[in-house]
Amino acid sequence: MDTVKEEKTETGGEEQPYHYNRELFYSFDKEKGYSQRVDYMIPENQTIIRQQWDLVEERLKGIRYLVTSGKRSPIAWYMEKALMEIPMLAGYMEMSAWRIRWHITPMGFKQLKPRILEKYAALFGITVEALKHPDLENNLR
Amino acid sequence: MDPKKILINYAHHQAGHCESGATSNLFGFYGHDLSEPMAFGIGNGLYFSYIPFLKVQYAPMISFRNLPNVVFKRSADYLGIDATIIKKFKEPKAAMLALDRNLEKGIPTGMQVGCFNLTFFPPEYRMHYNMHNIVCFGKEGDIYHISDTVMETPQTLTYEDLVRVRYAKGPFAPNGKMYWINSIPKELDIKSAVKKGISKTVYEMTKIPFPLIGVRGLRWMAKDLKKWPVKHGYEKASFYLGQILRMNEDFGTGGAGFRYIYGSFLKESGELFNNPELLETSDMMGKTANKWREFTYIGARNCRNRSKPEEDYSMLGNMLGEIASMEENVYKKLDKILL
Repeated sequence: MDTVKEEKTETGGEEQPYHYNRELFYSFDKEKGYSQRVDYMIPENQTIIRQQWDLVEERLKGIRYLVTSGKRSPIAWYMEKALMEIPMLAGYMEMSAWRIRWHITPMGFKQLKPRILEKYAALFGITVEALKHPDLENNLR
Repeated sequence: MDPKKILINYAHHQAGHCESGATSNLFGFYGHDLSEPMAFGIGNGLYFSYIPFLKVQYAPMISFRNLPNVVFKRSADYLGIDATIIKKFKEPKAAMLALDRNLEKGIPTGMQVGCFNLTFFPPEYRMHYNMHNIVCFGKEGDIYHISDTVMETPQTLTYEDLVRVRYAKGPFAPNGKMYWINSIPKELDIKSAVKKGISKTVYEMTKIPFPLIGVRGLRWMAKDLKKWPVKHGYEKASFYLGQILRMNEDFGTGGAGFRYIYGSFLKESGELFNNPELLETSDMMGKTANKWREFTYIGARNCRNRSKPEEDYSMLGNMLGEIASMEENVYKKLDKILL
């Protein structure tokens, strides 16, 4: 069942960005009163969702620069890619936010124990090798 | 995992809002046809809060809905239904075991989940938003059958994915919260529940003594909206404006920040009580919702041309102020109606 769905995402995802799922919308007209209809999203809505993803991509660009110039560790890259912020990552890792801030610096990343590296890798769904040498060209999803 | 197959005969109906849809479907499973707007209105889904000093996804926190699980809890309370809500499981295994036990007993179970790892969602919607609701109604091996009212058809999730979404982290983390109905009385006193629901919503929208909630919050936001381009520049102002629109029109609001659903509720209850005044408020709410729609159209144009906005922000702010006054009139009128 899962494979069928994935195919649907891929074919529908590239060509027609938001024609994936029809939703239920309510509307009101002075004469007719309330009505319901099942339809795709209105184009205005798609604009504002696009805006948010554009911003995420912009932030990723900034982080890519910081990682390549050695000011941030790869964890910052993967965190931004998963749309997370520090407190949220701290929640997932069950650590304090200060420890995450330390791991985001290259110095802190170098001193990480294998056990914690594995935990990060499992959270981001990658191997430890990929965590140490991230593919920075790879874009969102 | 045991390969036993359980499939409860649960009817999936699409709905505008995830939680009221789930509530209405759960009631339907126990033989009470309560429409989605009714569940939404009785359970006080309508709300507004604007918290500028709390940033969610780099923008001020704006919410058009009540806290998670309020709709189910209040509608069950007001209708006198015996329901169980478990707020928190420490261990994911215990949470999944409780779900399995429920399914074996034939109880469809609602859960609060995060959207980010929901595999059936379109990729564009997979944000870290933890107030989504789904109902699980079946199990085959380690695949769970899920009814998500935003989707057209029932979906499936694997065991690992379900654990991941039930233990999503961040603001309003679900912590494996689940809820179900134990038993329902044969006759429901819908009229008194509607009365309680309306008075509570009126209280929450106009009378809470805190300036960032309800109609006052809306006015505050209108005032701030005018300042954004000067304070933050056009790029950021447009992103903040986009955040209002995203919360207003995004996935699972039924359009116009739930105002259409609430208007339908007022109309249905007006027909129930045979009360012309209530029907009039429903029309007023519909007009307010249309105004919200207009606001979205104009705002989205500003979001498209970010650095050169087509419309003035002060005009948008005035429009929001107008909407706030229109809404306030509705609540004031509702407050005066004696049911």
